Amino acid sequence: MTVLSDRQQLSYIAAQAADARLNVELETEGMTLNIGPQHPATHGTLRIIAHLDGEQVVWAEPSCGYMHRGYEKLTEVRTFPQVTTLINRIDWLGSFANEVPFILAAEKLMEIEAPPRAQYIRTILFELSRIANVSLFLGDLGVQMGAITPVFLAFRDREYVLNLIEGATGGRFHPNFDRIGGLKDDLPKGWIDETRQVMRKLRGFCDEIEDLLFGNEIFQSRMRGIGVIPADVAKSFGLSGANARASGIDWDLRRDQVLPMAWDKVDFKVWTHPDGDCFARCWIRLQETREATKIVDQLLDDLPPGPVMAKVPRIIKVPAGEAWVATENPLGEMGYYVVSKGDLGPFRVKIRSASFNNISVVPWVLKGVYVPDIITILASLYFILGDIDR
Amino acid sequence: MPKVPGLIKGLGVTFGTLVRTAKEGANTVQYPHEKEAPPIRARGVIALREDNCTACMLCARSCPDWCIYIEGHKQLAPPRRAGGKPRQVNHLDRFDIDYALCMYCGICVEVCPFDALFWSPEYEYSEPRIADLLHDKDKLGEWMETVPEAPELEAGAEKKK
Repeated sequence: MTVLSDRQQLSYIAAQAADARLNVELETEGMTLNIGPQHPATHGTLRIIAHLDGEQVVWAEPSCGYMHRGYEKLTEVRTFPQVTTLINRIDWLGSFANEVPFILAAEKLMEIEAPPRAQYIRTILFELSRIANVSLFLGDLGVQMGAITPVFLAFRDREYVLNLIEGATGGRFHPNFDRIGGLKDDLPKGWIDETRQVMRKLRGFCDEIEDLLFGNEIFQSRMRGIGVIPADVAKSFGLSGANARASGIDWDLRRDQVLPMAWDKVDFKVWTHPDGDCFARCWIRLQETREATKIVDQLLDDLPPGPVMAKVPRIIKVPAGEAWVATENPLGEMGYYVVSKGDLGPFRVKIRSASFNNISVVPWVLKGVYVPDIITILASLYFILGDIDR
Repeated sequence: MPKVPGLIKGLGVTFGTLVRTAKEGANTVQYPHEKEAPPIRARGVIALREDNCTACMLCARSCPDWCIYIEGHKQLAPPRRAGGKPRQVNHLDRFDIDYALCMYCGICVEVCPFDALFWSPEYEYSEPRIADLLHDKDKLGEWMETVPEAPELEAGAEKKK
């Protein structure tokens, strides 16, 4: 037996202890973290159940339905003009955009088309509601990440857009301006000049947000490479809108389908991003706001004169048939499948809202991420609770 | 020129906004003291011109959440010409709108064939109790004073007949 010095003996004991520590399995337990339904970071009453292992999510599941209002059923007991009032409230931030596909579906069944001026004004208001919707997202994005300033800038400039919508339609959030066969009324005097000024302001706002948030190093390190959704996964989960385009899918219903709207008369760029991470999704939305201001400007330049209402009977009865119309709403593809039996109201309406499909990817994308990134990913996926639950 | 770090650039935006706010004043208004005028078309409250209403129930039937309550009866009015028969007219007994239910869609105003309902941009009529939001025809008639003229239309618009 070799005799060890004190120093050698001590190091031997230390090495043994370290060895023992390595061999002991630490008893760890998974934890279930319940985010919501009343969590300030979840845009309303969405509940996310996340199973954690330490700081990492093992699996997560969105549990929706806390705000279900049964719109598909409610529409069955209302007449066609009354339905637009209800469906305004599906995606409450871009509410004019909700009316358009439904009205287009009803017009398709009745085989009438709105006059060109009505189509132009519809498209202008559609894009304005897109700006109102997405500019709130751009401000809200900062709050989710702990930056307070962008939300004040966003609310300041969103107010101009809401004032425009109110000036033309009478309602800030729920315009109810679309009618079967056209629009309720024409634009009031001075509205076009005001809109041009506001569009200039909004382009300034986009630049400000780009400098304030998108160039920020902290923001980029929180966003880049987080929550990557590849294109095939995005397709298989039915993602649409900016979320799909951020994954590199070049798909925009404004450009890719023929509708009696004015999008084919303007030229705009559909932005895509190859990355598919949180940063790409936010960046796409910023570019879309810019494009929307340009679309509005172009449409205002060649607004045709004429009536805003086609000839429709006073009591609207939609002939029997089925029609599906989808448009590129601020959140993604939103469509209505309208079944009519020739009555005053629809027999059945199926609403395909974008947010419901967009959050279906949440279990996939949250697997393996860290807890602070949950909110970043949810914020960048951008859903409206009314749009999920309907 | 070296690249400006994003943090400094962001602070520049904040500072620029600060300077602009100091120069041009804030965008917000202190509500009870200052008020913003709503647009002419703003859907604030529904006003009723009682003389025009014939209790035809069109508005009550077309309301999406059925928040208009109308009662009326028929009565005889003096003849228009001397020596004629007395006319039968509809008299309005009750016209209530429950603003707690109203969705402010404006369908009632649109369907009214006798120009009895109008939108007013008036908005200050909140009540501490939800039941007090049921307003009767006298209250709705008071709002008639606040109804503005319809705005002029943008160039290229077709006049309504």
